[in-house]
Order: sequence, then C-alpha cells, then structure tokens
Amino acid sequence: MATCLCDAFYDDAARASVEVLEYLGCEVIFPGGQTCCGQPAFNGGDWKSSRRVVRHCAKVFAGDLPVIVPSGSCAAMILHGAGLAFENEPDREAIADLAGRTWEVMDFIVNGLGIESWPGAYPKRVAFHRSCHTRGTDSGPSAVQLLESIDGLDLVPFGESEQCCGFGGTFSVSFPNVSEAMGDLKLDHILEVGPEVLAAVDMGCVLHLAGLAQRKNRLIPMMHAAQILKDAVVGDTGVWPERRELASL
Amino acid sequence: MKRQPIDTYVARLDAEVRTAVHDNSAAGTEKRHDVIWADYDDPDRLRRTAGAIKQHTLENLDTYLPEVEKRLQENGTHVHWASDGDTANQAVLDILGKAGLKKLVKAKSMVSEETGLGEFLGENGIECVETDLGEFIVQIDGDHPSHIVKPIIHKNRRQIATSFERAGLGDYNDDPEVITRRARVHMRRQYLEAGAGLTGANFLVAESGRIVVVTNEGNSRFCLAPSRVHIAMVGIEKIIPRERDLSLFLNLLGRSATGQRLTVYTEFISGPRGQGQPDGPEEMHVILLDNRRSEVLASNCREILRCIRCGACLNVCPVYRQASGHAYRSVYPGPVGAVLSPLLSGEFRERADLPKASSLCGACNEVCPVDIPIPDLLLRLRDRAKVEGIPSPGVPPMGAWAVLATQPLVWRSALVAGRMINIVPRSLIPVPAFQAWQGKKDLPTWRGGKFRSWMKQRRERKEKN
Amino acid sequence: MSGDREEILKRVGEALAPLPERSPYPHYDTDLTVTFKDGSVDPWVRFKSMFAAVNGRVFESVSELGHWLLESGHTHGCCDPDLVDRLRTAFPEGLAMETGFDRARIDDYAFGITRARGAIAESGTLVLDDRTTWQRLAALAPWVHVAVLSRSDLWRDIPTAVDNLDDDPNVIWVTGPSKTADVEGILIEGVHGPGEQVCLLID
Repeated sequence: MATCLCDAFYDDAARASVEVLEYLGCEVIFPGGQTCCGQPAFNGGDWKSSRRVVRHCAKVFAGDLPVIVPSGSCAAMILHGAGLAFENEPDREAIADLAGRTWEVMDFIVNGLGIESWPGAYPKRVAFHRSCHTRGTDSGPSAVQLLESIDGLDLVPFGESEQCCGFGGTFSVSFPNVSEAMGDLKLDHILEVGPEVLAAVDMGCVLHLAGLAQRKNRLIPMMHAAQILKDAVVGDTGVWPERRELASL
Repeated sequence: MKRQPIDTYVARLDAEVRTAVHDNSAAGTEKRHDVIWADYDDPDRLRRTAGAIKQHTLENLDTYLPEVEKRLQENGTHVHWASDGDTANQAVLDILGKAGLKKLVKAKSMVSEETGLGEFLGENGIECVETDLGEFIVQIDGDHPSHIVKPIIHKNRRQIATSFERAGLGDYNDDPEVITRRARVHMRRQYLEAGAGLTGANFLVAESGRIVVVTNEGNSRFCLAPSRVHIAMVGIEKIIPRERDLSLFLNLLGRSATGQRLTVYTEFISGPRGQGQPDGPEEMHVILLDNRRSEVLASNCREILRCIRCGACLNVCPVYRQASGHAYRSVYPGPVGAVLSPLLSGEFRERADLPKASSLCGACNEVCPVDIPIPDLLLRLRDRAKVEGIPSPGVPPMGAWAVLATQPLVWRSALVAGRMINIVPRSLIPVPAFQAWQGKKDLPTWRGGKFRSWMKQRRERKEKN
Repeated sequence: MSGDREEILKRVGEALAPLPERSPYPHYDTDLTVTFKDGSVDPWVRFKSMFAAVNGRVFESVSELGHWLLESGHTHGCCDPDLVDRLRTAFPEGLAMETGFDRARIDDYAFGITRARGAIAESGTLVLDDRTTWQRLAALAPWVHVAVLSRSDLWRDIPTAVDNLDDDPNVIWVTGPSKTADVEGILIEGVHGPGEQVCLLID
C-alpha cells in the first residue's frame, strides 16, 4: 500500500520501501486499484464515508499476501480503526482478514522477516520521531533497532520525544493554532540536539514538520526511515548491490 | 472562517499561563514515569488488571449497587440515592437542615463541582468552605479549577498572594510557605466552626461498604474530626468489588496522579466514629449519584466510567498542555473530559467539539491506570456527532472525496493532472502548509503519478528479462 | 428519594441488559503490586528508610524523642493518658503534657502523642484508627504528631495491611507529614495536618 501521501508527494519514501523489501528477497506486488486507507474520513467522524473507502481497500488487497504500509497511521487505520468502524457491519470479517495480514514496514522487516541489523553505512546524526500512531506496536522499536545498527549512524535522543508533533490529519486543519504550537515545540526539541536528518515512520508528520520548518527557516532533511535504510546500502552510487539472501544479513 | 473554540482559546491564551500549565504537566508526567518504572517491571500489567476489574464492576453494577447499599447500612451509614445533581444538592441541604447546621467544610470533590453544590448551598443560606488549598484559592477568586488533581496549575504565586490580600488574609506576601501557613491558620477556624464535613470518595468497596478518601493536605481528616455530620457524595462508578483490590488501585493512583507511592493520607471510612472516640462524626451519610452515569453505561463509551480521576492523561496530553483546563469549558477537562463532559453535561451538541480537540496520539491511554482506550472513545463520539448532524467548523466534509477514493481510474488521472485536492483531501493538509500552498511555498513538490509510473516501468523491465 | 433508588437501579439494569456477556472478575495475585520483596531486608529497616524518604522522623528511645521536642521548641503538648506516665519518666525537664484536648486552645498544643494501630514497612506508613487513637484531633492538629508503635504491629506490605482492615470505622494510613504543591508545584509541608510526622518505637 503506497498511501495517498506517498502517491501525492513522497514517491521517494514509497520507492525506498519497495526497494528495501526487494533487497531482502521479497516480491512486491502493487495493485493499481489502490487509493487510500480511509483514515481521513474516519478521524473526522464520517464513518460512513470511511467504510466506503476501506471496503474498496479490502477488495483491492483481497487474497492472502501480507500488505506492507510505509505509514504508521495508515497501518493503524487498517489494523485497528477499521475494526471500530465496522463493529456493527455485516462484512466485518473481510476487514478483520485484511487487518490480520497488514504490517507497517519497519515492523515487517524486523518481526515479519526477522532482520535484526542493517548493513551499509550512514555517517550522520539522525533524530528519530516515533510517529504516534505506532504507539502500542513494534514499529518504533523496530525502526530504532535497525537505525542504531547502521555503521556510523548516530541516533540522537531529544526532549519530550513521546509528545505528538501536532499533525493528526484532520486535527491540523481544524485546530491549526494548537497544531502549530505542538509542531513548533517538537521542532525546538529536535533542533536543539543538532541532527542532520530527521527520520520518521509516517509521512504525515514529515508533511507537517517540514512545512512548519520551512516557513520559519529551520528546515533540515526529513524522510521516511526506509529511505535511510536504502541510502545506507546504496550510498553515493545509488546502485543496489546484488539481492542478498535473508540469512546472510 | 468559523473556528473550533478550543483552537481559538489556545490562540488567545496568556503565555504565562500556558508555560505554567505546560511545565507543571510535563513535570507530573516525568514523576509518574520515574516512580512507576522504578517500582515495577511491568506497569502495563497492573494497568490492564485494574482496567479489567473496573470494567467487570461497571458491567455488573446492577448487582454491586444493592450490595454496596446493604453493607453501608449495616455499618450504620445512611444511604441516599440521587438520580441527578439537583437531587443530590437537595439531599445535602436536607441533611444539614435536620442536623441544624449552617456551615459546611468541604474536601476536594469533583462530583460536587458537577452538581454545583457550593453555589446551591450559598443560595440556600449555607456557608460552604473549600478546604483544599487549591480549591480554596479557586473559591476566593470566584474561579474554576483547571485540572482535576492540581486545581490552580494555571496560577502563579503573585496571583495567589493578591487573592489572599483581597480576601483579608494578610498583607501581600507571595512566599509559598507564608501562603500555606496563612491558609492553615484560617482553615482551622472553619473546621471548628462548621459541624458538618463533606467529602467525595476515591473508592467505594462493595464487599465492606468502606469508602476510601485520599489527600496530601489532611483537609479531609480535618473536615471530619471536629464535625458531627459526615456527608460523602459518590458517583456510582466509584465502586470496586473487593478489599483486596485496594492494593492495586492505591498503588496506581498515587503514582499516576502525583508520582507518589501513596498519598500522605489514605482514609478508610466505614461509618460514624468508633465507640469511645471523642472526635469524629456521629452521623454518616453516603449520597449515591447517577447524574447521567447510567446513560454513559448504556452507551458505547462506557469504558470512560473506569476513570479514577488521577489526572495522568491531562498531564501527558500535548493538546491540554497548550490549551489548559479552562479551554474545555467543563468540569472535567483534558482527555478524560473530552469524553466524559459531553456525555455527563447533558449538552452533547454544545460540547461535541471536545472530542475533536485531539490528534489521537494515544499518550493518554498509555498512562491511564485503568487502561481506558480514550482515542477509540473520542472517535466514537466523533462518529456520533456526524450521525446527529452536529456541524463541525474546520472539519471538511468527506463524502465527495470518499466517492473518488473508490474509483481508481479517476484517482490515477487526478494524480497525474495535479488535482491535489482529489487525492490528498483538504482535511489532510495542515493549515500552515495549505496557506503556503496558496503562495506555492511550503507544500512539498507535487509528485502525483511518479511512484506509480516508476512501479510500472520496474514491472515491465522485469517481465522483459 | 426512594423513587430515585428505583429509577437508578432500573436505568442501570436497562443499560446493561443488551450486553451479550458480563466481564468476569479477573483473577490476579496481589503480590503483583508489592514492591518490597527482598526477604533479606529487615522490615523495620525498610520502614525506617521509606519513612525517612517522606520526611518522617523515627525515634527508638523515649528520652531521645523528649530531647528533640525540647530542642526544637515544641515544649507543650497533649498525650494519650495510657502512655503519659511512662513517657514522663523518660522525658527531660521542660516538657509539659496535658491528657485532655481543649478545642478552644487547639493551637496551644505543639505536639500530640497517640498510639498507632500498626505500620507498613513497604511504604513507610503509619496506621491509625479510632480504637487506638485516644483523640483524633491530637493526631491531626498539632504541628508535631508522635505515633507510638510496637514492633510487633509492623506489617510487611500493603496487601497485608489491607487484610488487616477490620471493623474500625476510621482507619488512616499516614505516609509522612501533611503537604501540598498547589502553589506553583512547590512542595510545602505542614498544611492542615502535622508538619512533622514522628514515629516512636517501643516494645
């Protein structure tokens, strides 16, 4: 699942996710009929509209292959939110089936594929923002585990890291003042430790923080953690080495 | 453009107040975290067990309520039932009237805020004195508490000193120790003069008919020791099944609320004073209050009734930290209030915006000692507001977008044609970014269709090989 | 009012009727809540260290307590009539104790001495109740409260103390002197209750 944000703005993140999975020996299928996970309508309270979109999703991703999502919030929507929206629906089984095989990408790499560390090198100071919708899942710890294991990568902690960046999808539009205050506070904490790059597992957070940072002239490169995994391996050449067997990593 | 009230409140909030609230909340979160992880390897296990006990009690309230009534009566306590706040207030007035008492000293009780007890008693010739230092300051200021555990988190010492001077408690002095000593001296007179003391109850144990009241200041003890009459106003959801459950709840409550292992005073009260004890009430009354709790019990948000009023969710909430309690316009603010207040106030329409003031980050559930799935409940209330047709400023309609999002051909062509609005709905673009987009500055470059064409080329290349 | 009782029970019953099943009471061991598990530590040692951590003071000798009261300027107080003779013999000169409590002179008592029902080692908590406290106000109003404890009344942990909750209508767990942090989060001791919480161990 590419997600609507990657479809619109962040093809790099989606590409990196696909390439990383292929490097690990997976065959990645991209059903062209996919659109969105249904989260925007769900969060806004329009569950009827949301169900429409989720049903389409279930149709597009029917089958029994694992569905990998480079977004903590989209994964959470399928894994949990959809369950709420379909509580009283006759087709909740189909939705539960989709949820049962959906993974956020970092979680999948570590817990689905069993990768414990990451090769290559990435000699930079990196701050990691553990996007909120991965709370209660293994995505955050998985990302940290992989990033920390990369040669030369200096993962720098920053203050109040458990606090939300203020995006929250519909929230940032309906509560712009609160959202901006939260984002500014988050940027203050991050920039205080002088990272060269900010990594996240949800491009919504990046959309929000990068927008704020740019407007206030505080921009640093911000990207999906999968892009760092890719850059660590392809380096300056931009070329992927031979596909590795999972066992040899 | 019409705005969300809480967002407007935040924009106008005094910077000093915001800093006080933020810093105090963050300190509370840190203290809780430090003590709970120092003492327990697996705090989540305690939280889930406590949550399961509360859920069980709520789902069996029809059995526990009569049981509790029986035990209380066996202990020599008078039991009153109040279906709403007015009835509860009237019950208090009647009890005082029968006892011939005109003054009441009050320990901290959120239910009495709910029912507006202080105001009601004032209108009926009863002097009602708040004894908790924070609540006392709120009272002399004619203000409202902004946090359920730390009522004056939004005030600083200078404001308090000014209030004390205005209330005739001495010349201006903003030394916290002086302020506290003055309150001590002043309050003693009140305790000795009153004759009646009112408390809430943190827990009401069904097995024994014992109420548990926790404080740090000792004001609830002093409301009772010199008094003849004790009135406890208790929400029906405060019941816990068995005495043994107290170790779990007391260990969680102190740590979650203030980072203490136990509060200074934990009182286990099961009736009027013991035989031979010269101090203490001769009469004890418990008022069991419904006030729409049964409605919440019937709804799909009943888990919120597990709440033990620790305030941990307020402390950790990034929205609460920016907004402060008064932004919620309700007795209960913060994450718990965003669910409880629309439901308990009986004014769902007027408070339907509260559940929207959240990015659904989930930090609240992570710290909740009874594991309430607050984000899920906020979502359910958003659903309810939509179904009831309650307008929501700033939240764009999603119907048209949803139709497009089920039509892949339209979606793909919109991607390529740069029709951003069809893909990333207005509701997903943060306002600063959207405003910038109007000026074509901060929104990232439109890349619609790029990923898909890359995937397609990749597939075609593979098929060729 | 009885109308309200029926109304509330009816509403609660109706609210719960649609539930397909009711959550059961979860089985758990209260041991899961205990933070004092080291069997090699003497409970009295644990009590003293936890009590000190909340700014409580412990005395294991009557005369030491007496000297501290004198030196800290708390020279006039009240005491449980059952204890007063024993304490007077070991106290230094200069301390005056009454065996009654006059509310009109509530601030005359700088200290109040009462018997404790028990104590909890795990948390550094004193346990008072109506039966063993000769006068509630004597334990509450004076700046210094001295709770007199027998070592045999020390319970190891909180679940044990809960098990020992009996039919006394007013059991109080005291964990340190009274305090507040309402003013800017700054901790101040001695609000409505004692500013000094003392434990005197006798055997």
